[in-house]
Amino acid sequence: MISLYDFELSAECYQVRLMMAALRISYRRIELDVYPNREHESPWFLKINPSGRLPVIEDDGLTLCGTRAILEHLTGRYDPGGRWYPRDDPKTRASIARWLEVAERLAATAGAARMHDTMFEHADIDACRAGAHALFRALDEHLWFAEQSGHGWLCSQSHPTIADLACFPDVMLSEEGGISRLPYPAIRRWTDRVKRIPHFATMSGIFSASPARSALT
Amino acid sequence: MSAIGLTAAGDASDPIDRWFPVARGEEVVARHIVQTQLLGREIAVWRDDAGVVNAWENRCPHRGVRLSIGLNTGTELHCRYHGWRYASGSGQCTYVPAHPGQKPAAAMRVGRFGAGEAHGFVWVNLIEPAEPPHLSALASAQATTLRSIYARAPAVTVAACLLRGYRFALDPTGADDSPTDAALVASDAYTIRASVHAVLREAVVTFLLQPVGASQSVIHGLLETTGETSGVDADRLAVLRHHNAQMTALRDAAEELC
Repeated sequence: MISLYDFELSAECYQVRLMMAALRISYRRIELDVYPNREHESPWFLKINPSGRLPVIEDDGLTLCGTRAILEHLTGRYDPGGRWYPRDDPKTRASIARWLEVAERLAATAGAARMHDTMFEHADIDACRAGAHALFRALDEHLWFAEQSGHGWLCSQSHPTIADLACFPDVMLSEEGGISRLPYPAIRRWTDRVKRIPHFATMSGIFSASPARSALT
Repeated sequence: MSAIGLTAAGDASDPIDRWFPVARGEEVVARHIVQTQLLGREIAVWRDDAGVVNAWENRCPHRGVRLSIGLNTGTELHCRYHGWRYASGSGQCTYVPAHPGQKPAAAMRVGRFGAGEAHGFVWVNLIEPAEPPHLSALASAQATTLRSIYARAPAVTVAACLLRGYRFALDPTGADDSPTDAALVASDAYTIRASVHAVLREAVVTFLLQPVGASQSVIHGLLETTGETSGVDADRLAVLRHHNAQMTALRDAAEELC
Protein backbone atom coordinates (compact mmCIF):
# COMPACT_ATOMS: atom_id res chain seq x y z
CA MET A 1 0.00 0.00 0.00
CA ILE A 2 1.15 3.55 -0.75
CA SER A 3 2.29 5.63 2.21
CA LEU A 4 1.81 9.40 2.13
CA TYR A 5 3.85 11.61 4.44
CA ASP A 6 1.23 14.22 4.97
CA PHE A 7 0.26 17.45 6.70
CA GLU A 8 -3.46 18.15 6.77
CA LEU A 9 -3.12 21.92 6.23
CA SER A 10 -0.59 21.74 3.40
CA ALA A 11 -1.96 22.80 0.00
CA GLU A 12 0.69 20.65 -1.72
CA CYS A 13 -0.18 17.53 0.27
CA TYR A 14 -3.82 18.24 -0.57
CA GLN A 15 -2.99 18.06 -4.31
CA VAL A 16 -1.85 14.49 -3.73
CA ARG A 17 -4.88 13.61 -1.59
CA LEU A 18 -7.17 14.97 -4.35
CA MET A 19 -5.41 12.77 -6.92
CA MET A 20 -5.52 9.68 -4.69
CA ALA A 21 -9.24 10.21 -4.06
CA ALA A 22 -10.08 10.78 -7.74
CA LEU A 23 -8.21 7.60 -8.72
CA ARG A 24 -9.75 5.65 -5.81
CA ILE A 25 -6.33 4.71 -4.46
CA SER A 26 -6.27 3.57 -0.85
CA TYR A 27 -3.22 4.72 1.06
CA ARG A 28 -1.75 5.04 4.51
CA ARG A 29 -1.24 8.54 5.93
CA ILE A 30 1.77 9.35 8.08
CA GLU A 31 0.81 12.65 9.63
CA LEU A 32 3.60 15.13 10.48
CA ASP A 33 3.22 17.96 12.94
CA VAL A 34 4.59 20.62 10.60
CA TYR A 35 2.99 23.50 12.44
CA PRO A 36 3.85 24.36 15.13
CA ASN A 37 6.39 21.62 15.84
CA ARG A 38 8.27 21.56 12.49
CA GLU A 39 8.42 17.80 12.41
CA HIS A 40 9.39 17.91 8.72
CA GLU A 41 12.78 19.21 9.91
CA SER A 42 13.27 16.37 12.40
CA PRO A 43 16.15 13.89 11.88
CA TRP A 44 13.83 10.94 11.18
CA PHE A 45 12.04 12.72 8.33
CA LEU A 46 15.23 14.22 6.85
CA LYS A 47 16.42 10.64 6.32
CA ILE A 48 13.37 10.12 4.10
CA ASN A 49 13.51 13.47 2.32
CA PRO A 50 16.74 15.43 2.93
CA SER A 51 15.07 18.60 1.60
CA GLY A 52 12.61 18.44 4.49
CA ARG A 53 9.61 19.04 2.24
CA LEU A 54 6.20 17.44 2.00
CA PRO A 55 4.52 15.63 0.37
CA VAL A 56 6.44 12.38 0.02
CA ILE A 57 5.05 9.02 -1.03
CA GLU A 58 6.46 5.52 -0.81
CA ASP A 59 5.08 3.08 -3.35
CA ASP A 60 6.42 -0.40 -3.96
CA GLY A 61 9.96 0.47 -2.89
CA LEU A 62 9.96 3.85 -4.65
CA THR A 63 10.26 7.05 -2.62
CA LEU A 64 9.04 10.18 -4.42
CA CYS A 65 9.14 13.81 -3.27
CA GLY A 66 7.27 16.77 -4.68
CA THR A 67 3.80 17.14 -6.10
CA ARG A 68 4.77 17.12 -9.76
CA ALA A 69 6.69 13.84 -9.57
CA ILE A 70 4.00 12.28 -7.41
CA LEU A 71 1.11 13.29 -9.68
CA GLU A 72 2.95 11.99 -12.74
CA HIS A 73 3.72 8.73 -10.99
CA LEU A 74 0.18 8.18 -9.71
CA THR A 75 -1.42 8.84 -13.08
CA GLY A 76 1.19 6.76 -14.90
CA ARG A 77 0.65 3.80 -12.66
CA TYR A 78 -2.99 4.02 -11.56
CA ASP A 79 -4.85 5.78 -14.41
CA PRO A 80 -4.72 3.21 -17.20
CA GLY A 81 -7.03 5.27 -19.42
CA GLY A 82 -4.64 8.22 -19.18
CA ARG A 83 -7.46 10.66 -18.63
CA TRP A 84 -5.68 12.77 -16.01
CA TYR A 85 -2.38 13.02 -17.89
CA PRO A 86 -2.90 11.87 -21.47
CA ARG A 87 0.04 9.81 -22.70
CA ASP A 88 -0.11 10.29 -26.46
CA ASP A 89 -1.30 13.85 -26.73
CA PRO A 90 1.71 16.21 -26.98
CA LYS A 91 -0.38 19.38 -27.12
CA THR A 92 -2.27 18.56 -23.96
CA ARG A 93 0.93 17.46 -22.21
CA ALA A 94 2.58 20.77 -23.11
CA SER A 95 -0.46 22.65 -21.84
CA ILE A 96 -0.34 20.63 -18.61
CA ALA A 97 3.37 21.46 -18.19
CA ARG A 98 2.52 25.13 -18.50
CA TRP A 99 -0.20 24.99 -15.85
CA LEU A 100 1.92 22.90 -13.48
CA GLU A 101 4.42 25.75 -13.65
CA VAL A 102 1.57 28.17 -12.82
CA ALA A 103 0.71 25.94 -9.87
CA GLU A 104 4.25 26.39 -8.58
CA ARG A 105 3.94 30.16 -8.95
CA LEU A 106 0.58 30.03 -7.13
CA ALA A 107 2.32 28.21 -4.26
CA ALA A 108 5.03 30.89 -4.17
CA THR A 109 2.47 33.73 -4.03
CA ALA A 110 -1.03 32.80 -2.82
CA GLY A 111 0.35 29.81 -0.91
CA ALA A 112 3.12 31.84 0.70
CA ALA A 113 0.61 34.54 1.71
CA ARG A 114 -1.52 31.91 3.42
CA MET A 115 1.49 30.41 5.22
CA HIS A 116 2.42 33.92 6.32
CA ASP A 117 -1.03 34.70 7.71
CA THR A 118 -1.90 31.36 9.26
CA MET A 119 1.45 29.80 10.22
CA PHE A 120 3.63 32.89 10.65
CA GLU A 121 6.09 32.03 7.88
CA HIS A 122 8.30 34.88 6.68
CA ALA A 123 7.17 36.43 3.41
CA ASP A 124 6.91 39.76 1.62
CA ILE A 125 3.17 39.69 2.07
CA ASP A 126 2.35 42.59 -0.28
CA ALA A 127 4.44 41.08 -3.06
CA CYS A 128 2.86 37.66 -2.50
CA ARG A 129 -0.68 39.07 -2.73
CA ALA A 130 0.10 41.23 -5.77
CA GLY A 131 1.70 38.24 -7.49
CA ALA A 132 -1.31 36.07 -6.69
CA HIS A 133 -3.74 38.66 -8.09
CA ALA A 134 -1.72 38.85 -11.32
CA LEU A 135 -1.88 35.06 -11.67
CA PHE A 136 -5.59 35.01 -10.81
CA ARG A 137 -6.30 37.59 -13.52
CA ALA A 138 -4.60 35.42 -16.13
CA LEU A 139 -6.31 32.30 -14.80
CA ASP A 140 -9.75 33.93 -14.84
CA GLU A 141 -9.28 35.09 -18.43
CA HIS A 142 -8.05 31.66 -19.53
CA LEU A 143 -11.01 29.90 -17.87
CA TRP A 144 -13.54 32.35 -19.32
CA PHE A 145 -12.34 31.60 -22.85
CA ALA A 146 -12.22 27.89 -22.04
CA GLU A 147 -15.92 28.12 -21.15
CA GLN A 148 -16.66 30.06 -24.33
CA SER A 149 -14.88 27.31 -26.28
CA GLY A 150 -17.16 24.74 -24.74
CA HIS A 151 -15.02 23.12 -22.07
CA GLY A 152 -14.50 23.87 -18.44
CA TRP A 153 -10.95 22.81 -17.60
CA LEU A 154 -7.49 24.33 -17.80
CA CYS A 155 -6.15 22.15 -20.60
CA SER A 156 -8.72 21.95 -23.42
CA GLN A 157 -10.00 18.54 -22.42
CA SER A 158 -13.48 17.23 -21.79
CA HIS A 159 -11.98 15.77 -18.62
CA PRO A 160 -9.96 17.53 -15.88
CA THR A 161 -6.21 16.87 -15.79
CA ILE A 162 -3.54 16.93 -13.11
CA ALA A 163 -3.16 20.65 -13.94
CA ASP A 164 -6.62 21.37 -12.48
CA LEU A 165 -5.80 19.45 -9.30
CA ALA A 166 -2.39 21.13 -8.99
CA CYS A 167 -3.78 24.67 -9.29
CA PHE A 168 -6.96 24.19 -7.26
CA PRO A 169 -5.66 24.09 -3.63
CA ASP A 170 -3.78 27.39 -3.51
CA VAL A 171 -6.62 29.10 -5.41
CA MET A 172 -9.33 27.72 -3.15
CA LEU A 173 -7.41 28.55 0.05
CA SER A 174 -6.43 32.06 -1.09
CA GLU A 175 -8.76 33.89 1.28
CA GLU A 176 -6.74 32.49 4.20
CA GLY A 177 -3.91 34.63 2.79
CA GLY A 178 -6.08 37.72 2.37
CA ILE A 179 -6.68 37.24 -1.37
CA SER A 180 -10.36 37.62 -2.31
CA ARG A 181 -11.72 35.81 -5.34
CA LEU A 182 -14.63 38.23 -5.78
CA PRO A 183 -13.02 39.80 -8.89
CA TYR A 184 -12.59 36.39 -10.55
CA PRO A 185 -16.02 34.97 -11.42
CA ALA A 186 -14.70 32.44 -13.96
CA ILE A 187 -12.30 31.08 -11.33
CA ARG A 188 -15.22 30.76 -8.90
CA ARG A 189 -17.23 28.73 -11.42
CA TRP A 190 -14.21 26.50 -12.12
CA THR A 191 -13.72 25.81 -8.39
CA ASP A 192 -17.35 24.62 -8.26
CA ARG A 193 -16.64 22.27 -11.17
CA VAL A 194 -13.52 20.89 -9.46
CA LYS A 195 -15.56 20.28 -6.32
CA ARG A 196 -17.99 18.22 -8.41
CA ILE A 197 -15.31 15.84 -9.73
CA PRO A 198 -16.38 12.37 -8.58
CA HIS A 199 -14.80 11.38 -5.24
CA PHE A 200 -13.64 14.95 -4.59
CA ALA A 201 -11.78 15.15 -1.27
CA THR A 202 -12.33 18.07 1.09
CA MET A 203 -9.87 19.51 3.58
CA SER A 204 -9.94 21.99 6.42
CA GLY A 205 -11.32 25.20 4.85
CA ILE A 206 -12.50 23.55 1.61
CA PHE A 207 -16.06 22.28 1.45
CA SER A 208 -17.96 20.22 -1.07
CA ALA A 209 -20.36 21.81 -3.58
CA SER A 210 -24.09 21.20 -3.84
CA PRO A 211 -24.95 18.46 -6.37
CA ALA A 212 -24.92 19.62 -9.98
CA ARG A 213 -28.37 20.05 -11.48
CA SER A 214 -27.64 17.62 -14.29
CA ALA A 215 -26.70 14.92 -11.78
CA LEU A 216 -30.23 15.04 -10.40
CA THR A 217 -32.32 15.11 -13.54
CA MET B 1 -38.81 44.50 -0.73
CA SER B 2 -37.05 47.02 1.44
CA ALA B 3 -33.71 48.76 1.56
CA ILE B 4 -31.38 47.56 4.28
CA GLY B 5 -30.02 50.61 6.04
CA LEU B 6 -28.25 51.80 2.93
CA THR B 7 -25.69 54.52 2.95
CA ALA B 8 -23.64 55.63 0.00
CA ALA B 9 -20.39 53.68 -0.02
CA GLY B 10 -17.54 54.87 -2.10
CA ASP B 11 -18.17 57.91 -4.24
CA ALA B 12 -20.86 59.93 -2.50
CA SER B 13 -22.23 60.96 -5.88
CA ASP B 14 -22.99 57.36 -6.91
CA PRO B 15 -26.77 56.99 -7.03
CA ILE B 16 -28.18 54.17 -4.91
CA ASP B 17 -31.59 53.93 -6.54
CA ARG B 18 -30.42 52.80 -9.95
CA TRP B 19 -30.12 49.57 -11.88
CA PHE B 20 -26.58 48.33 -12.48
CA PRO B 21 -25.48 45.20 -14.34
CA VAL B 22 -23.55 42.84 -12.05
CA ALA B 23 -22.96 39.75 -14.21
CA ARG B 24 -23.56 38.28 -17.64
CA GLY B 25 -26.74 36.25 -17.31
CA GLU B 26 -25.20 33.04 -18.64
CA GLU B 27 -22.52 33.24 -15.94
CA VAL B 28 -25.15 33.00 -13.21
CA VAL B 29 -25.16 29.24 -13.72
CA ALA B 30 -27.35 26.70 -11.97
CA ARG B 31 -26.25 25.56 -8.50
CA HIS B 32 -23.69 28.35 -8.23
CA ILE B 33 -23.53 31.52 -6.16
CA VAL B 34 -21.95 34.60 -7.74
CA GLN B 35 -20.14 36.87 -5.30
CA THR B 36 -20.16 40.50 -6.35
CA GLN B 37 -20.30 43.98 -4.89
CA LEU B 38 -22.20 47.13 -5.77
CA LEU B 39 -21.55 50.53 -4.15
CA GLY B 40 -19.72 48.83 -1.32
CA ARG B 41 -22.48 46.29 -0.64
CA GLU B 42 -21.54 42.67 -1.09
CA ILE B 43 -24.16 40.68 -2.96
CA ALA B 44 -24.79 36.96 -3.44
CA VAL B 45 -26.43 36.42 -6.83
CA TRP B 46 -27.91 33.03 -7.58
CA ARG B 47 -30.35 31.38 -9.95
CA ASP B 48 -32.82 28.78 -8.77
CA ASP B 49 -33.66 25.71 -10.84
CA ALA B 50 -36.76 27.44 -12.23
CA GLY B 51 -34.48 30.14 -13.66
CA VAL B 52 -35.37 32.92 -11.19
CA VAL B 53 -32.42 35.14 -10.23
CA ASN B 54 -32.00 36.34 -6.64
CA ALA B 55 -29.71 39.16 -5.47
CA TRP B 56 -29.26 38.97 -1.72
CA GLU B 57 -27.18 40.71 0.86
CA ASN B 58 -24.12 38.45 1.13
CA ARG B 59 -24.58 37.90 4.82
CA CYS B 60 -26.45 35.28 6.79
CA PRO B 61 -28.78 37.07 9.24
CA HIS B 62 -27.86 34.51 11.87
CA ARG B 63 -24.10 34.98 12.34
CA GLY B 64 -23.10 37.17 9.43
CA VAL B 65 -21.21 34.54 7.41
CA ARG B 66 -21.03 35.16 3.66
CA LEU B 67 -23.82 33.30 1.89
CA SER B 68 -21.62 33.02 -1.21
CA ILE B 69 -19.62 30.24 0.47
CA GLY B 70 -22.86 28.32 1.05
CA LEU B 71 -24.81 25.95 -1.14
CA ASN B 72 -27.30 26.64 -3.92
CA THR B 73 -29.62 23.61 -3.85
CA GLY B 74 -31.79 24.84 -6.70
CA THR B 75 -34.62 26.06 -4.46
CA GLU B 76 -32.77 27.41 -1.42
CA LEU B 77 -29.45 28.74 -0.23
CA HIS B 78 -27.91 26.87 2.70
CA CYS B 79 -25.60 28.84 4.95
CA ARG B 80 -22.25 27.07 5.39
CA TYR B 81 -21.96 27.90 9.08
CA HIS B 82 -25.06 26.55 10.87
CA GLY B 83 -27.05 25.25 7.93
CA TRP B 84 -29.87 27.79 7.99
CA ARG B 85 -31.85 27.59 4.75
CA TYR B 86 -33.39 30.50 2.82
CA ALA B 87 -36.02 30.21 0.10
CA SER B 88 -35.58 31.58 -3.40
CA GLY B 89 -37.75 34.65 -3.98
CA SER B 90 -38.82 35.50 -0.44
CA GLY B 91 -35.45 35.02 1.29
CA GLN B 92 -37.44 33.57 4.18
CA CYS B 93 -35.65 31.13 6.49
CA THR B 94 -37.29 27.73 6.06
CA TYR B 95 -35.25 25.52 8.36
CA VAL B 96 -32.84 25.79 11.29
CA PRO B 97 -31.01 22.49 11.85
CA ALA B 98 -30.53 23.19 15.57
CA HIS B 99 -34.34 23.52 15.98
CA PRO B 100 -35.74 21.06 13.45
CA GLY B 101 -39.25 21.09 14.93
CA GLN B 102 -39.73 24.85 14.97
CA LYS B 103 -41.08 27.01 12.18
CA PRO B 104 -38.60 29.87 11.68
CA ALA B 105 -39.99 33.30 12.56
CA ALA B 106 -40.97 35.64 9.73
CA ALA B 107 -38.19 38.03 10.79
CA MET B 108 -35.59 35.40 9.92
CA ARG B 109 -35.15 36.55 6.37
CA VAL B 110 -32.15 37.60 4.28
CA GLY B 111 -31.81 41.11 2.92
CA ARG B 112 -32.94 41.22 -0.69
CA PHE B 113 -32.17 43.61 -3.51
CA GLY B 114 -34.04 44.20 -6.75
CA ALA B 115 -32.87 41.75 -9.43
CA GLY B 116 -33.78 41.37 -13.08
CA GLU B 117 -32.44 40.21 -16.43
CA ALA B 118 -32.20 42.28 -19.58
CA HIS B 119 -29.87 42.50 -22.59
CA GLY B 120 -27.97 39.41 -21.50
CA PHE B 121 -27.07 40.78 -18.06
CA VAL B 122 -28.32 40.38 -14.53
CA TRP B 123 -29.14 43.81 -13.10
CA VAL B 124 -29.41 44.82 -9.46
CA ASN B 125 -31.06 47.81 -7.81
CA LEU B 126 -30.17 48.31 -4.15
CA ILE B 127 -33.39 50.18 -3.36
CA GLU B 128 -36.65 49.50 -5.09
CA PRO B 129 -37.18 47.14 -7.96
CA ALA B 130 -39.07 48.46 -10.94
CA GLU B 131 -37.69 47.14 -14.22
CA PRO B 132 -34.16 46.96 -15.57
CA PRO B 133 -33.54 49.58 -18.23
CA HIS B 134 -34.10 49.18 -21.91
CA LEU B 135 -30.91 50.24 -23.63
CA SER B 136 -30.70 48.84 -27.11
CA ALA B 137 -28.77 51.20 -29.34
CA LEU B 138 -29.50 49.56 -32.66
CA ALA B 139 -32.75 48.20 -33.94
CA SER B 140 -32.73 44.58 -35.13
CA ALA B 141 -29.06 44.13 -34.31
CA GLN B 142 -27.18 41.04 -33.23
CA ALA B 143 -26.18 41.46 -29.61
CA THR B 144 -23.31 39.77 -27.77
CA THR B 145 -22.27 40.26 -24.16
CA LEU B 146 -18.51 40.68 -23.90
CA ARG B 147 -16.24 39.44 -21.13
CA SER B 148 -16.71 41.69 -18.12
CA ILE B 149 -13.44 43.21 -16.86
CA TYR B 150 -12.72 44.02 -13.22
CA ALA B 151 -10.71 47.20 -12.68
CA ARG B 152 -8.93 48.39 -9.57
CA ALA B 153 -10.12 51.87 -10.46
CA PRO B 154 -13.42 53.65 -9.70
CA ALA B 155 -16.09 53.89 -12.37
CA VAL B 156 -15.50 57.63 -12.73
CA THR B 157 -11.86 57.01 -13.70
CA VAL B 158 -12.78 54.27 -16.17
CA ALA B 159 -15.36 56.58 -17.76
CA ALA B 160 -12.83 59.40 -18.04
CA CYS B 161 -10.30 57.07 -19.72
CA LEU B 162 -12.92 55.76 -22.09
CA LEU B 163 -14.03 59.23 -23.16
CA ARG B 164 -10.43 60.17 -24.00
CA GLY B 165 -10.65 57.68 -26.85
CA TYR B 166 -11.46 54.08 -27.61
CA ARG B 167 -10.56 51.93 -30.59
CA PHE B 168 -11.87 48.65 -31.90
CA ALA B 169 -12.06 46.79 -35.19
CA LEU B 170 -15.38 46.44 -36.92
CA ASP B 171 -14.43 42.98 -38.14
CA PRO B 172 -11.46 41.53 -36.22
CA THR B 173 -11.36 38.42 -38.43
CA GLY B 174 -11.86 40.03 -41.82
CA ALA B 175 -10.79 42.88 -44.02
CA ASP B 176 -11.44 45.64 -41.47
CA ASP B 177 -9.27 44.06 -38.81
CA SER B 178 -7.36 47.14 -37.70
CA PRO B 179 -8.84 49.06 -34.76
CA THR B 180 -10.28 52.45 -35.57
CA ASP B 181 -11.35 55.33 -33.37
CA ALA B 182 -14.89 54.90 -32.15
CA ALA B 183 -17.39 57.72 -31.83
CA LEU B 184 -18.16 58.08 -28.12
CA VAL B 185 -21.39 59.19 -26.47
CA ALA B 186 -22.01 59.16 -22.74
CA SER B 187 -25.69 58.65 -21.82
CA ASP B 188 -24.81 59.10 -18.16
CA ALA B 189 -21.86 58.55 -15.83
CA TYR B 190 -22.11 54.75 -16.14
CA THR B 191 -23.27 54.22 -19.72
CA ILE B 192 -21.00 55.06 -22.66
CA ARG B 193 -21.53 54.02 -26.26
CA ALA B 194 -18.64 53.50 -28.65
CA SER B 195 -19.55 53.07 -32.30
CA VAL B 196 -17.66 52.27 -35.48
CA HIS B 197 -19.27 52.64 -38.92
CA ALA B 198 -18.48 51.37 -42.39
CA VAL B 199 -20.49 51.01 -45.58
CA LEU B 200 -23.64 49.04 -44.74
CA ARG B 201 -22.16 48.00 -41.43
CA GLU B 202 -22.13 49.31 -37.93
CA ALA B 203 -20.93 48.09 -34.54
CA VAL B 204 -21.72 49.63 -31.19
CA VAL B 205 -20.27 48.66 -27.84
CA THR B 206 -22.37 49.88 -24.95
CA PHE B 207 -20.13 50.03 -21.90
CA LEU B 208 -21.98 49.59 -18.63
CA LEU B 209 -19.94 50.43 -15.55
CA GLN B 210 -20.64 48.67 -12.27
CA PRO B 211 -19.38 50.76 -9.34
CA VAL B 212 -18.05 48.06 -7.01
CA GLY B 213 -16.86 50.50 -4.36
CA ALA B 214 -14.70 53.54 -3.83
CA SER B 215 -11.74 52.14 -5.76
CA GLN B 216 -13.03 49.31 -7.95
CA SER B 217 -15.43 48.82 -10.80
CA VAL B 218 -16.45 46.31 -13.42
CA ILE B 219 -16.56 47.18 -17.11
CA HIS B 220 -19.41 45.31 -18.78
CA GLY B 221 -19.82 45.48 -22.53
CA LEU B 222 -22.68 44.79 -24.91
CA LEU B 223 -21.70 44.50 -28.57
CA GLU B 224 -24.37 45.12 -31.19
CA THR B 225 -23.66 44.76 -34.89
CA THR B 226 -25.65 45.29 -38.05
CA GLY B 227 -24.76 44.12 -41.50
CA GLU B 228 -23.16 40.86 -42.55
CA THR B 229 -21.81 38.53 -39.92
CA SER B 230 -20.39 35.13 -40.73
CA GLY B 231 -21.88 33.42 -37.70
CA VAL B 232 -18.89 31.10 -37.59
CA ASP B 233 -18.01 30.08 -34.06
CA ALA B 234 -14.28 30.66 -34.55
CA ASP B 235 -15.11 34.21 -35.60
CA ARG B 236 -17.26 34.69 -32.53
CA LEU B 237 -14.31 33.71 -30.33
CA ALA B 238 -11.99 36.03 -32.26
CA VAL B 239 -14.45 38.91 -31.75
CA LEU B 240 -14.66 38.14 -28.03
CA ARG B 241 -10.85 38.00 -27.78
CA HIS B 242 -10.47 41.28 -29.66
CA HIS B 243 -12.85 43.17 -27.39
CA ASN B 244 -11.34 41.50 -24.31
CA ALA B 245 -7.93 42.84 -25.36
CA GLN B 246 -9.26 46.37 -26.00
CA MET B 247 -11.16 46.45 -22.72
CA THR B 248 -8.13 45.10 -20.83
CA ALA B 249 -6.08 47.96 -22.27
CA LEU B 250 -8.77 50.37 -21.05
CA ARG B 251 -8.59 48.78 -17.59
CA ASP B 252 -4.80 49.10 -17.53
CA ALA B 253 -5.03 52.76 -18.53
CA ALA B 254 -7.56 53.45 -15.76
CA GLU B 255 -5.45 51.62 -13.18
CA GLU B 256 -2.41 53.67 -14.22
CA LEU B 257 -4.25 56.78 -13.04
CA CYS B 258 -4.96 55.32 -9.57
